[in-house]
Amino acid sequence: MPSSEEIFQKVQAALVDALGVEEDEVTPEATMVGDLGAESIDFLDIVFKLEKAFGINIPREELFPDDILTNASYVKDGKVTEQGISELKARLPWANLTNFEQNPRVQDFGNLLTVNDLCRYVATKLG
Amino acid sequence: MRWFWIDRFEKFVVGKEAVTIKNVTLAEEPLDDYLPGHPHYPHSLIVEGMAQTGGLLLSQMEQFLQRVVLAKVTKADFFFVAQPGDQLRLTAKLLGRQAEGAFVEGTVEIDGKKQAEMELTFAILDESFGKEPFFIPRDLLRILRAMRLFEVARTEAGERIEEPQHMLDDEQAYLASHPF
Amino acid sequence: MRFCQLDQITLLEPGVQIKAVRKLRADEDYLRDHFPRFEVMPGVLMLEALTQAAIFLARATEGYKNGLIYLESAKNVKFADFVQPGETLSISVEIIKRTENTTLVKASGSKEDSVAVSGRLLLKHQMLSGTVEPSTTDVHANVFMKQITDRLLKV
Repeated sequence: MPSSEEIFQKVQAALVDALGVEEDEVTPEATMVGDLGAESIDFLDIVFKLEKAFGINIPREELFPDDILTNASYVKDGKVTEQGISELKARLPWANLTNFEQNPRVQDFGNLLTVNDLCRYVATKLG
Repeated sequence: MRWFWIDRFEKFVVGKEAVTIKNVTLAEEPLDDYLPGHPHYPHSLIVEGMAQTGGLLLSQMEQFLQRVVLAKVTKADFFFVAQPGDQLRLTAKLLGRQAEGAFVEGTVEIDGKKQAEMELTFAILDESFGKEPFFIPRDLLRILRAMRLFEVARTEAGERIEEPQHMLDDEQAYLASHPF
Repeated sequence: MRFCQLDQITLLEPGVQIKAVRKLRADEDYLRDHFPRFEVMPGVLMLEALTQAAIFLARATEGYKNGLIYLESAKNVKFADFVQPGETLSISVEIIKRTENTTLVKASGSKEDSVAVSGRLLLKHQMLSGTVEPSTTDVHANVFMKQITDRLLKV
């Protein structure tokens, strides 16, 4: 099982390749969408690079809970309900949802994901 | 000018890898004064050749029913220019596939020398772009036959593949409605 | 140059940037293959438009010396939107860095207000003579390319 430093370096390398950003831009707290400019087509590229770098399989819904975010039972007036939040927490145990919980607007969810979140996700798949 | 930037399939392993060849000729339109005195083949069309090779490898997995488009060139590196008389050998490897798209690694060789390397991401378009494939099945079938795809194609286990039934049906229906 | 992907150069600042436009006409022959049921500009032609604009900029910037300038490397070229017949792609290329025989640019093509294509391109400059002095082929190629540049600027 690689150390968290090793995981970070491989994730960082994958993001540098996929997004064309500089190494020093890829900090642990950097958000994928806001800070690194990742768009939906980049996520496919990133997923494939991570699968290759770590020898893991990444089913889309484990990183992108679209099915929860578009489910009428979990979303009301553009915000995720309490039940929806529990579903998200169960689906993404590695993600830090405390900021999102303050104002859980569906449209903001994509901006949540940080480099750190990605590293923690990889660690759970390897562990 | 047609939009076929590969001439023929040399190898096709279902879901894994395909190899095509493209002959560069002095008479093809893109070479016309692309650089007088030093005619050479535009690199964007080499990317297209790889996109066609990898795209067909990908869409064959769903019997050519999916709408597959090139969405991103993560990187494409070219080591020298291709000239009339050169034969490009394009190898596309399908490295990953999800519902929304796939990732292909490609290399191009001329006379055994590596001319280019690239990483391409394809998107599989959903129904908001329509329900039908972009190609008319009988026409695509004819082109794929001309490119020898079904002759060389094998599954990983080494078995030949069949021409997709929906394409044969479309061909039959057309020919039946156009008797001599 | 039948494969020219630019209709007009609207701004040329050697050493800095170039802006150009490319309108997709409904009668472009290859559209019948791309695709029969969904006619759109192929992504690689959008890339070619960016590349050609970059090459015209690079030639003007180096003062028309090297006969051959070509795309050595493309990075993170994303096709974000389709260009359909009748629509116009507005191309913008800026030089990031130059060395003696390379030019690195960031390039994008937009429709109205949204970006349809973007990426980073590295161009290689090469003297066809194989030495530091141009051959007649180098000179002739540059005369031709300058003529096209001038024609596109006058449109």
